[in-house]
This record gives sequence, C-alpha cells and structure tokens, in this order.
Amino acid sequence: MNLFFDLIIGGLSIGACYALVALAMVIIYKTSEVPNFAQGEMAMVSTFVAFTIMTGYGVGFWIGAAATLAFALVLGALLELAFLRPAKDPSVLSLIVITLGAEMVLYGLAGWKWGANQNPFPVPFSEYSGFKIGEVMITEINFWTFVTSLVIMLLLFVFFRFTKVGVAMKAVQQNAFAAKAMGIPTRRILTFTWALSSVTGAVAGMLIAPISTLDTNLMMDPMLKGFAGAVLGGMTSLPGAALGGYLLGLIENFFGGYVSLEFKSVVAFAVIVLILCVKPSGLFVKHFERKV
Amino acid sequence: MRRANFFLVGLICTLMSLCLAADSMAAEKARGVTDTEVAIGQWGPQTGPAALWGAVARGTGVYFDLINEEGGIHGRKIKYYLRDDSYQPMKTKAIAKEFLENLGIFAVVGGVGTSTGMAVRDYLAENKVPWVAPSTGSSHWTIPLQKYLFAIYPRYTDEAYVLTEYTIEKMGKKNIAFFYQNDDYGKEGLKGAKDYMEKKGLKLAAEVPVEVTDTDLKSHALKLKESNADAVILWVLPKHAAIILGVSKASGFQPQWIASSTLSDSNLMHKVTKGLWEGVVYANFLNMESPLIKKYLDAQKKFAPKEQETGVFFLAGFLFAEPLVEGLRKAGKDLTPDSFVKAMESIKNWNDWLGHDCTFGPDEHQGMKSVYLAKCGPEGKPIKISDWLTYKGGK
Repeated sequence: MNLFFDLIIGGLSIGACYALVALAMVIIYKTSEVPNFAQGEMAMVSTFVAFTIMTGYGVGFWIGAAATLAFALVLGALLELAFLRPAKDPSVLSLIVITLGAEMVLYGLAGWKWGANQNPFPVPFSEYSGFKIGEVMITEINFWTFVTSLVIMLLLFVFFRFTKVGVAMKAVQQNAFAAKAMGIPTRRILTFTWALSSVTGAVAGMLIAPISTLDTNLMMDPMLKGFAGAVLGGMTSLPGAALGGYLLGLIENFFGGYVSLEFKSVVAFAVIVLILCVKPSGLFVKHFERKV
Repeated sequence: MRRANFFLVGLICTLMSLCLAADSMAAEKARGVTDTEVAIGQWGPQTGPAALWGAVARGTGVYFDLINEEGGIHGRKIKYYLRDDSYQPMKTKAIAKEFLENLGIFAVVGGVGTSTGMAVRDYLAENKVPWVAPSTGSSHWTIPLQKYLFAIYPRYTDEAYVLTEYTIEKMGKKNIAFFYQNDDYGKEGLKGAKDYMEKKGLKLAAEVPVEVTDTDLKSHALKLKESNADAVILWVLPKHAAIILGVSKASGFQPQWIASSTLSDSNLMHKVTKGLWEGVVYANFLNMESPLIKKYLDAQKKFAPKEQETGVFFLAGFLFAEPLVEGLRKAGKDLTPDSFVKAMESIKNWNDWLGHDCTFGPDEHQGMKSVYLAKCGPEGKPIKISDWLTYKGGK
C-alpha cells in the first residue's frame, strides 16, 4: 500500500513540473496557435543563467531566482522580436518551424557557453527530507514544486480572466484581425505572451534542475512530457493543460510502478495518440471548432 | 599561339607523369605512413549530449604531442586528426570515409561510443585499418575476433562479473539489485552480473531498466526499494546515477551503491550529487597511482593549458593511445598494417602504462581484463580499496 501512496507523491511532484511546462506552452498557443518547441531550451538557458548567477557570483537563491525571471522575461520577448516577427505572411506551420530553429540555436549556444558537464543546482529546500505521512515521505522540494505550480496556474487564470491585457490576449487568439481593428496592439501582445511564457518555463526549469542534474539536455524530456500533458488536458485551456500535466505524471508513475518500467516513458506518447483519436481538443476542453 | 599550346600540353604531360611516379612510389608505403610521419585519427563527441566524453580524444592529442616532443617513433612524428561526431553514427561514418579517402590515415585510436563505433567497424576492417582501443567495453570489438581491431577497455560483461563477485564475497552483501540503462551498454553489464549469480546458484533481487531519456526516476527507486536489496549495482549514465541516488534517499532507501567504470570520476560525481556519492564503491581501470599521471598532467599544462576537463576521461585518452604507441614502437621502421598487427600481438604482460597487464595474442585481442575498486571518500577523493581484479571465468 505504501508503494501506492509513494507513487501518488512521485506522480504529483513530477506532474507539477510537467504542468508548468504545459502552462508555458499553452500561454503562447492560446494567442497564436503555435506550439513553441523552443520552450524547453528557453527554460534550460534561463536555468543556466540562474546557476551562473548563484554559483559564479555567490548571490543568494531568491535574488538569483528573481534576476533569472527578469532575464527570462527579456529572453522571451527578444526571441519573439528576433525570430517570429520578421516572418513574412507567416502560416502556423512556418512559425512552428521557426520555433524549432530557435530551439537549435539556443541549444547550440548553451552547449558552447556552459559545456557538457552535469552541474548540481543549489536550492534552499531539501531534496531528501521533508515531512512524513505514515511511511510516505514528501520532500520539501516536492512540496514546494507542487505549491508553486498551483499558485502559478491560479495567477495565470486570474490574469487571463480579469486583467485588461489578459482579455486582450484572448481576443488576439480568437480573431487577430478584429482585435487589431478594435485597437488592440496585437504585435505587442504577442511579444508579451512570449515573455510571460518564458518566465513560466524558467520557473519550471529551476524546479526540475534540483531533482535532476543541470546540463544542456535538462528540458528535453520534461518539455516533451509537458507538451503531452498539454495535449492531454487541452491546448487551449490553462487549467486543462495543468491538470493534463498532473495526470500524465500520475499515469507515468503508476505505469512504471505496476506495469513496466521499460515502457514508462513511452506511455506519454501513447496517451497523445489516444487523445488525438478520441478527443482531439483535450480532456478538459469543450470541443474546439475552427473559426472561419 | 599553336606553339604556346604545344608547350603547355607538354608541360602538363610532364607534370602528370611526375605525379604518377610520385604516387606509385608512395603506394609502396602503407597508407598514412611516410618516413617522417604516421597519421592517426580519432572521432569523439566534442558537442552534443555525450560531449563530456569528448575529453578522451583531447587527452590522446596531448599524449601524441608528448611523444612527438620526445622525438617520435622511429623517426616518425604522429600526425593526429581529431574529428567531432557529436555521438551520431551517421557522422562517424562520414568521418571514417574522410579518414581513409581524404586524409589517408594509418590507424584509428579510441573513439567513444558503441553505436558510433559499430557504424564503421566493418568499413575499417574491410580497408585493413588498424583500430586500437575503442573507448567502450562492448563485446562487439572482440567477439568474434577481428584481425585489425584491438580492444583495451575491459568488457562490461567481465567488469560486471568481477564487481558482483567482489560485492558478494568480499563485501558480504547478500541481496543485490541491478539498475541498468536499457540498451547494449546496460544489458552487457546485466549479463555479466547474472552470469556470476547463476554460477553461484543465486538470483538478482531486482533488475530495473532505465531509458536514456528518462528524467523522473521515482518509480525506479521504489522498485529498487521494494526488492530490499542491500547493494545496488549501477550501469547507467552519470546523470541517472545522480538522480537515482537522490530519489532513493528521498524514498528512504539507502543501500550500498556499486558503480561501473563509466562512473569512475569520483570528483565529478561527488559534485553533481551534492555529496551523496561519498561511500559509493566503483570500478576503475585507470591506475591513478601511476607515476605517469604526473608526467601526463605536466604535458597537459604545456600543450593544452586551457583544457578544463583533466579528470578520468581526459587521462583515459592517454591510456587508450599507449598500447598503439607501444605497437608502433615494436613494429619498427617497416610499418604496414600487417607488421603492426604482428607487433601488437607480441605485447605480453606489458605494464609500463596507465592500465594493467596488457596482453594480446593471435587469438586474443582483448588486451585488458582487469579493474580495481575504489571508494569515494570525503570531498570526492578516490580511495583504492582492492587490488587489480582480473576476470578469469570463460573466454
């Protein structure tokens, strides 16, 4: 029975990481219908920046993290300005290809700057101890990862629902032309989405690095899983995508614990295929109708 | 005008015949060998996911610089070509072609990666290119035996065998679990461990596979915990070793960890695991107590002062190239692939290098079969805990 609860804790804590990545993806997807494949590397680069600030300059975790979030904000905006905006008459497909290109550029740059070494990422929470419920251990890092993901999901939800910018973002997604006609600065909104998404990704990176090790491949797996989680929950819904992330973490862990470890990481992709066949808009979203 | 043309044609003909003559003169010598030079190539991942192991090929470069500075071998300097294959077999193939067709190398040394090496193994063999010390412990290099291929890295199967034997007989562990990467590398380690267990009529407490891309190892750790093993042998990437130690500790599972030689850089592992690596027992085949180490690191300061990775992987680049140089020495002035093979096969119980007891023969192209064990001490300091352990079971 302990195994069962241990798997739940494990599933939720990695699921929280997937959820953050899923949120980051959905923020951009919601406004431009582009799945951003550079998401993972953006987060990875930000995490390396955090690492450099903290270990290279001896800055404390919280100041370092805040500086990193500021960096991520600029990075996201810059990428949008440098890569996506110059595209002429972009179709969604060409934008996706551009994000793939950005991914490779970032990956290459990170490899050149930080090398191939594994690095330990320092955090003020313990990875090994925390509190116990019965025999089941919830480590501090697991707990805070989970809480952070919930808080960010809530903040984003409120932001999109109740702020002017958030509503403008939704408007841009639903009909960019009409939004523009209504006086919404659609281009600036898009840049802002990238910045916001980049910040969310950076948070994910800084939470994944301590439970993994920091290297240039840090986000490869979490990024794919986060994407799978977003598809599972629904690419157009923030809470949906986040729930999808949690769910995927649980599915993976239970599959690994009770069925097969060999196929554990493949489950995510089986899930994508299954969902795309059965409910293409995602589990927690009303069916998406193409706007004419 | 016509006369000028005649003159030109005449000149070209003369030049061409001169070139041909030079070519045929060169053809008498083996490819990549002149009176003053012998060309050696190596591929290694300088970029990409396995770039950490790229230090091997750079170590070899420093070693050759050292040999050249000491006067070379039989009047020949080593001309070294290092190419980056990013750990991708397709690129390795292109590099092998470049080595043979454009650069004309005599031999290949080292080369990180089993799949990258397998992509060119047969091509090199067909073209009679001597290849010394592929930098992995795969059994594909020596089983079946191939005339021009000489392996140094102890086979993973043999290494796992002696490691398991030591764990049970010397460390008194009873219940052993095996955590392995789900591919050739991990499975060969698993096979070695199982061979020993079967011979003793024992069984592994658990066999837990991990995929290369996995990041979340919670369920793996729980599986290991469930097995109640008192020792777990690791046959994985450094990254996975670091993660599984952390997650296991968080799950309240702290067995004696035993690691393969691919995880033998204790300083690095200690740093990456934030100190958890202390107390881990691991195999190594690089004699860190050899007086040669100082000489080699001095050479590094001289020839590659900017090198950052001067740990086990870098030094392994020296170790893999040492038998090649010994072979070149023994082959003498008249160097061809066949004379080189003969010279290599005459190396017996050779110990003047970083490894142990290098022995080749016409029926034996696995030069080294020994590892020793070390324990990670405080601050990642390696502490040698056993003598050389040599695999004696089977062939």
